[in-house]
Amino acid sequence: MKLSTPTGLFNRLSLQLALLNRLPAPVLDKAGALLLAISPILPAEMASALGTFLAPHARPASLAFIKMTAKWATDARNASRNGKKVLLVPFNFPCELIHAFDSATPLTSEVLSTLAAAVGQGEQYWDMAMGLGLPDHLCSANTIELGSMLGSEDFKPQAIISAAPGGCDVNSKIHEFVAHHLGIPQFFLPKPPDDSGRGRKQYALYLHALIAQLEEFLGEELTEDKLRRVLTKANRCTELYYEIWDLHKAVPCPVPNIFSLLLYGTRFTMWGTDEAIKTLEAMVKVCKERLARKAYPAEKEVARCLWAYTSYYFDFMGFFSWMEERGYTHLGDGLDLCFPSIVDTSSRDTMIEGIAEAAWNMPMTRQVGGESMSRSWTEDVIYAAKELKADCVIYCGHHSCKQTWSVVSILRSELTKRTGLPLLILQGDSWMKRMTPMSVLQQEIDEFVRNVVAKKSLKPRKLKDRRKSQLVSEDNPPAAGSSV
Amino acid sequence: MKLPKGEDKVLGKVGVKKPEALLPRLPQKSPGISHFEKAASAVPGSAGRLRRIEEEDGAGDREPGPGLGAVAEAGFIAPGWFGGEEMDEIIKQSAVIENEHVKKWKRDGGRVVGYICLATPTEIMDAAGLLPYRVRALGNSQTEMADARLSRFNCSFCRSCLQLGLDGTYDFLDGMIETNGCDHLRGMIENWHYAKPFAFLHYLKVPHLADPSSLKYYEEDLRLYKQAIENHFDVTITEAELWNQIQMEDRVREKLKTIYEMRERAEPAFTGAETLSLFLMATAAPAAIREKLLDQAIAERKDHKIRGYKARLLLGGSATDEVDFIQGIESMGGLVVADTLCYGSRAFWPRLNPAKAGDPLQVLAKTYLEELLCPRMFQDFPRRRDYVLAAVERAKADGVILVHNKFCDVHGVDNVAFRLALEKKGIPVLQLEKEYGASADIGRMKTRVQAFLERIGGPQ
Repeated sequence: MKLSTPTGLFNRLSLQLALLNRLPAPVLDKAGALLLAISPILPAEMASALGTFLAPHARPASLAFIKMTAKWATDARNASRNGKKVLLVPFNFPCELIHAFDSATPLTSEVLSTLAAAVGQGEQYWDMAMGLGLPDHLCSANTIELGSMLGSEDFKPQAIISAAPGGCDVNSKIHEFVAHHLGIPQFFLPKPPDDSGRGRKQYALYLHALIAQLEEFLGEELTEDKLRRVLTKANRCTELYYEIWDLHKAVPCPVPNIFSLLLYGTRFTMWGTDEAIKTLEAMVKVCKERLARKAYPAEKEVARCLWAYTSYYFDFMGFFSWMEERGYTHLGDGLDLCFPSIVDTSSRDTMIEGIAEAAWNMPMTRQVGGESMSRSWTEDVIYAAKELKADCVIYCGHHSCKQTWSVVSILRSELTKRTGLPLLILQGDSWMKRMTPMSVLQQEIDEFVRNVVAKKSLKPRKLKDRRKSQLVSEDNPPAAGSSV
Repeated sequence: MKLPKGEDKVLGKVGVKKPEALLPRLPQKSPGISHFEKAASAVPGSAGRLRRIEEEDGAGDREPGPGLGAVAEAGFIAPGWFGGEEMDEIIKQSAVIENEHVKKWKRDGGRVVGYICLATPTEIMDAAGLLPYRVRALGNSQTEMADARLSRFNCSFCRSCLQLGLDGTYDFLDGMIETNGCDHLRGMIENWHYAKPFAFLHYLKVPHLADPSSLKYYEEDLRLYKQAIENHFDVTITEAELWNQIQMEDRVREKLKTIYEMRERAEPAFTGAETLSLFLMATAAPAAIREKLLDQAIAERKDHKIRGYKARLLLGGSATDEVDFIQGIESMGGLVVADTLCYGSRAFWPRLNPAKAGDPLQVLAKTYLEELLCPRMFQDFPRRRDYVLAAVERAKADGVILVHNKFCDVHGVDNVAFRLALEKKGIPVLQLEKEYGASADIGRMKTRVQAFLERIGGPQ
């Protein structure tokens, strides 16, 4: 038997994760501690990723997340052996719907790209897509993974579900291109840009049509029992989501920065499964313990930062740790703003309605997929900033997000007007280091916190002092020797 | 270069009388876009002000500025314009945003409503007695006011339009119909409305699919669009008037198709630049004028024959209302004999059904959604591909130029898929990514087009 190293992104990642999945949790925990201990002698990139994931204060949840992701990838890898079809879904699609089918398993393209970025493998697949002549302003979150499918001997899904129409042109186009190029079916869940009841009703019609198409494609009926099995677990996930949300409100924040990623990573891949519940429970447990101890990784919490859209993932997740070490709390980003609801599991209809509601509220769909791209996004950001007691908001400026880029000036105006919070607008590619180096981004964040956020908290006092000194100087000159 | 008084008229007539002649380009009849750009670069300030300068000075009385068309000055082969009295007037009027027809309409108390996307049924506006005006930027390269709102990652066509909205050029609009044509377009309208609210803004929500439920939704949306117009402008749109306008629009489409057929001939009657000017005029004038102008152009050019070009080209891709850009390609010898542009054939190719049967809104919904040829319809690539292939075959194009403005995702990706499909059929393709209206791009564009023309050869 000839062994060869897989070249495709999914094949490589799934192999790595499959190896991890075979390790029992205690062994993985010990291995994690050992890896962290030897990280100083490991390559810098690997040390960075390990440092973030396996830092003692995050490790129990990170390990649960790794096990969960490994199960997710392994299910897809072994799908055909188990008589299942793999459906490629975008991050803004409620994966619990696919988990409810016995004969299908979901694979989320953006999560694969993010994991690739976490182990430094993204750029080569991006180049494969560029090699076909695709424009360089596509979204790397999708194009990294899809580039691998287009340009390497990688695993191919049996169909693509696109939930991007209405929320994101660029993702809609790349899905269409890949489906056509690979000759695989594409199913749609478009979002009407209509906040009225009519728009919501049309969206439910699209979901019903999608379910019917999937049932036909998979040759399987989506029964009430299957839905209930998954959605009961999804409801538990929802409860845990809000526990984590509430824990973010404490000052200093007991939620490790990397949990933002772990939370939506779970939402986008395994929501409605036992593994997702275990991961979220581990996160809650960590946060509660830290809350009780008032633990914070830095000497003090300098700034509480809400990220308006995505974060940066291309530096092996070191970015999250870097913020933490400096006392910059990452309160979550736009991808965390999905606000799930408890689904009524009393009937098939109520459950499908619940999935429609969840899909409607997925990140991006909910915000820039709204009737107004700026209004829904602005309202969510302002709500989250107030609820989580943010000191500032940062927009990562992922270059391909044309929708957010086109209304970020409105977000800034409204945010300043309605909350007084400053917004830092950065420019960079969240998944690739080629656009803006991490050092530059870090420098800009540092300067923003130092010169705007920190000074802002001093501002009222300064103004008061200035007024006082004016009063003294103009009306009552201080007596000699006195101090103002 | 300014020609002696009266010479332009003579040359214009020559263009009709001696169709076999390959005439020199008539710079004095340039659409004024180059001048627009030139003046814009020379005088800092608003395009609105520039427009007024142009009006005071008399549009079209100047030689072209540094647009791609300027390569004609350097001795390249094909002409951009052949003149003719009617065509000269159309070209002149199509080169300004607020043309004489719009001005007269406003002077007479008429109201003008803007729209951008080809998925907007203009018949409803016409039936309400409004003038539907398709927003354009005409190659405007000044975007400083728009750049303060949109970003450099947004397409420069939308930034150019926004600039003209913010600087007052579009102040003659009495309202705007927004659609979800693409993310950039949505952002443009939101910023426009945020900074300078429209007196009337209606959002027409166009589905991305054309299945039965989407069609029903869109039909209902057309009803809301009609109601919004009726309420705001205090008019009643009768079914009879709607049918009249559907019939009128269908006649306009028929005439535009005739012009395209005349352009596709072995010896074409129109250049690509002229055809674009005609299209621009047909989307910025009152209903009656549109028909009349197209009739005049057809009559004037019925025996006209263009010869001597190097290659027959099809131009496809994103929002391209830059006459100067096409003129530049033609000045190098590549005659644009067909297009699949959004400011071009895709806007009128599907014919309406004017049989007065059933609900007129249903007819509009079916035509505008089911037959919408736009990359925003994410399920329809095979239909769009077939449309491009059919146009290539019909026009006997030697090659295809696929263009998209930087950061235009929908056309940027579609163009790659088109290129692959066309190359599979052995049809040469040049894929161009460009900045809208940017003179900095001229050299690069020229080199690439020249190289492409050399590659495909074509009849000499």
